[in-house]
Amino acid sequence: MRILIVEDEKKLCELIARALKAERFAVDEATDGNQGWALANSYEYDLIILDLMLPGMGGAEILRRIRLQNQQVPILILTAQDATDEKVRNFEAGADDYLTKPFAFAELVIRVKALLRRGPVTRASVLRVGDLEVDRLSQQVKRAGMKIELTSKEYALLEYLAANPGRVFSRTMIIEHVWDQSFEGLTNIVDVYIRHLRSKVDDPFPTKLIRTVRGVGYGLGESTDA
Amino acid sequence: MNTRSLSFRLVTWYAGVLTLVFVVLGSLTLVFLRHYLLSSVLDTQARRARQIADTLIASVDRTGEEVMTRQVEELYSPVVNDRFIRVTRAGGGVLYVSGPPHDGTFVPSDVPTLGAAAFDRQGVFERTVSLPSGSLLISAVASGRFIVEVGVSTARTEETLRQVLLLLAVGLPIGVLIAVSGGFVLVRRALEPVSRIAHKAEDISQHNLSERLPVVHSGDELERLSISLNHMIARLEDAVQSSKRFVADASHELRTPLTVLRGELESLAQDAQLKVHTRESIGSLLEEVDRLAEIVESLLALSKLDAGEASSERVRFDLGELVTLTAEQMSLLAEDKSIRVECDAAPDVIVEGDRSRMKQVVVNLLDNAIKYTPNGGNVLLKISCDGDNAILEVADNGIGIPTEALPHMFERFFRVDDSRSRNQGGAGLGLSIVKSICVAQGAEVDVTSRPGGGSCFRVRQPLARGV
Repeated sequence: MRILIVEDEKKLCELIARALKAERFAVDEATDGNQGWALANSYEYDLIILDLMLPGMGGAEILRRIRLQNQQVPILILTAQDATDEKVRNFEAGADDYLTKPFAFAELVIRVKALLRRGPVTRASVLRVGDLEVDRLSQQVKRAGMKIELTSKEYALLEYLAANPGRVFSRTMIIEHVWDQSFEGLTNIVDVYIRHLRSKVDDPFPTKLIRTVRGVGYGLGESTDA
Repeated sequence: MNTRSLSFRLVTWYAGVLTLVFVVLGSLTLVFLRHYLLSSVLDTQARRARQIADTLIASVDRTGEEVMTRQVEELYSPVVNDRFIRVTRAGGGVLYVSGPPHDGTFVPSDVPTLGAAAFDRQGVFERTVSLPSGSLLISAVASGRFIVEVGVSTARTEETLRQVLLLLAVGLPIGVLIAVSGGFVLVRRALEPVSRIAHKAEDISQHNLSERLPVVHSGDELERLSISLNHMIARLEDAVQSSKRFVADASHELRTPLTVLRGELESLAQDAQLKVHTRESIGSLLEEVDRLAEIVESLLALSKLDAGEASSERVRFDLGELVTLTAEQMSLLAEDKSIRVECDAAPDVIVEGDRSRMKQVVVNLLDNAIKYTPNGGNVLLKISCDGDNAILEVADNGIGIPTEALPHMFERFFRVDDSRSRNQGGAGLGLSIVKSICVAQGAEVDVTSRPGGGSCFRVRQPLARGV
C-alpha cells in the first residue's frame, strides 16, 4: 500500500510518515503544493493525505485536479479550519474524509485504514480480545464464557475499543464516537464510564484488559503500537 | 424631574432671565407713565390757568369781578369737571373759588390760601397740596394783581397707574409661564434626538457593533455629534473585528504545532522501554497539550460564534426532550458524585434554533452544576413557558457564587476563585461559550446565586412560532 502525504509542516509530515510506516505502509512525502501535485500526477497511490493550506498550489486545487483526472484514490483532508461549510465544500469536491488539527495519531491511522479497506469489507460480527467477546449483532458481551450486562453507552464504549484492540484512543476520539460533539471538552465523562466499565469487565477477572496510557487515553488489550 | 438635565437647566435660566427683563421693563414703564401722566396734567392746567389769566382777568376792570366769576363758572364749569379753580387777589382775599367737585375728591375750602410770598413770583409755578381726602396737583399763574390756580386731584392718575400695575402683576407671570412652557417644548423637541441617540447608544454592545446611531439631519451640532459618534463606533467595530480575527488566526496557527507536539509525545508515550517516571512526565505533558488544545478549540469556537457563523442550522425541537436526553447521557457523572439530577420538563416546549448548539449549552450548564455541587447535592433542571418564551433553569444547591463575581460569570477566562476551578479542569471558557451561543440564537442567559445557597442559571429563548 502506497500513501502520499502532502503537508507543508515538515515535522508533522515526518510524524505522519513515521506513524504510517510503523503500520507497514509505503509513504511518499511532499512539503509543498506543486511537489504534491507532481507526485500525485505521476504515481498510482492507494491513498493521499492532503493539507489544505499549502505553499504553491493549494490543497483544494490539488483535490480538484486529482478528481478531474477521475482518479478513484481515497483522499483524506487535513486542515486547521473546521468551518462546516468548508467541510461540505471539500466533500463535494471529492474528499473522502476530513481531520481537523490537532488530531490524535491513533485517529489518523484508524481513518487511513478505514479508507483503505472501503468497498467490500466484511466486518466480523464477533470481536474477540483475549477472553472477551463482543457480539455486534446481539450487542452481548461475554468474558470467559460469562455474560456481562452493560448499559448501552458502556457497550458502545467497549465496542469502540474492541474494534481496534491494542490501539490507544484519546478521550476526544472516544467522545466523538460514543457521544457527540456537544460533549467535546467534557473528557471526565469518559473517565467515569471507563471506571464503570472496568468494574464490570475487569474487576471480577485476574487479567486486566482495559489499559490506561496517561495523557493519551484508553485501549483494550496489549499494545500493538511501537 | 431631573434638575440636572439640560432641558431643565436651559428652561430655568431662560425663565429667570425672562422674569428679570419683564420686571425691569414693567418698573420702567410705571415710572415713565407716571411722569408722563403728571406732566401732561400739569401742562393742561397751566394752559387753562393762563387762559383765565389772559382772557378774563385782563378784562376784569371793564366787566367787574361778578361777571368774571360767572364767566369762569360758565366756561370751565369746574364743579362738573372735578377741577379746582381759585383766583386770589394780590392783596390777599380770594376773588373766586370753585365749588366742591362732583366726585368729591377734594374740598376746595381745605386748600390753604396763598401766602404773600407767592406774589413775588412770576409766570407759572406748580405745587402739590396734601389734603385729608388725597393729593391735589395745582398749577398757578401769577399775572399782576391776581394769581389763578387750577388743580385736579391726583386720584385719577394714581388710579390709572394702579390699573397698569395690576395689569403688569397679572400679565407678567402669565407671559413668563407661556414663554417658559413654549421654551420647554422647544428645548425638548430640540433635545429629543439626543435622547434618541442615547437610547440607541445604550443598545449597542460588542455583539451588534455593526449597528449605527440614528443620524438627525438637522444640519446642526446634533447632526455632527451623531455622525462623529457613528465614526467612533465604526472605529470600535474595526478594533473588535481585528481582535476577533486575531483570536481566530492565532488559534488556527496554534493547531499545527499542537498536532506535532501531541504526535511526538504520543509516539514517545507508547515506547515500552521507558522508565516509569519518564512515562509519567510524558503523560503529564500530554495532559497539558490536551488542555492547550481544548483552550484553542474553545477560543476558535467563540470567535466563530462572534463572527456569526454559528446559527447556520435552524430546526424546531422540543427543548424539554433535548434537556431530558442530555441529562440522561450525563447521569453517570452525577451518580459518580451521588448528586441527584431532577428533570422537570413541561410538555411541548418547542423552540427553533441550532439543536446541537443548544445541547452544548445544556451540557456546559449541567456539567458546571455537577462540578460545583458537593457530593450528595441536588441539581434541578426545569423547562417551562413564560409567555412567548421558553425558560430553561439549571439550579443547584452547591457552593454558590460570591455576589461580586456574578456580573463577570460570562466573561472569558473568568474564574470565581483561581485555585478552585483550575483543579476542576477547564479554562474558564465554558460559560462564555454558553453566552455566545445564546446570543447567536437570540436567547438570553443570566445567573442568580447566594454564596453557600446554590446557583441558578436561566436561559430564556423565544418559543417557535405557530405552535
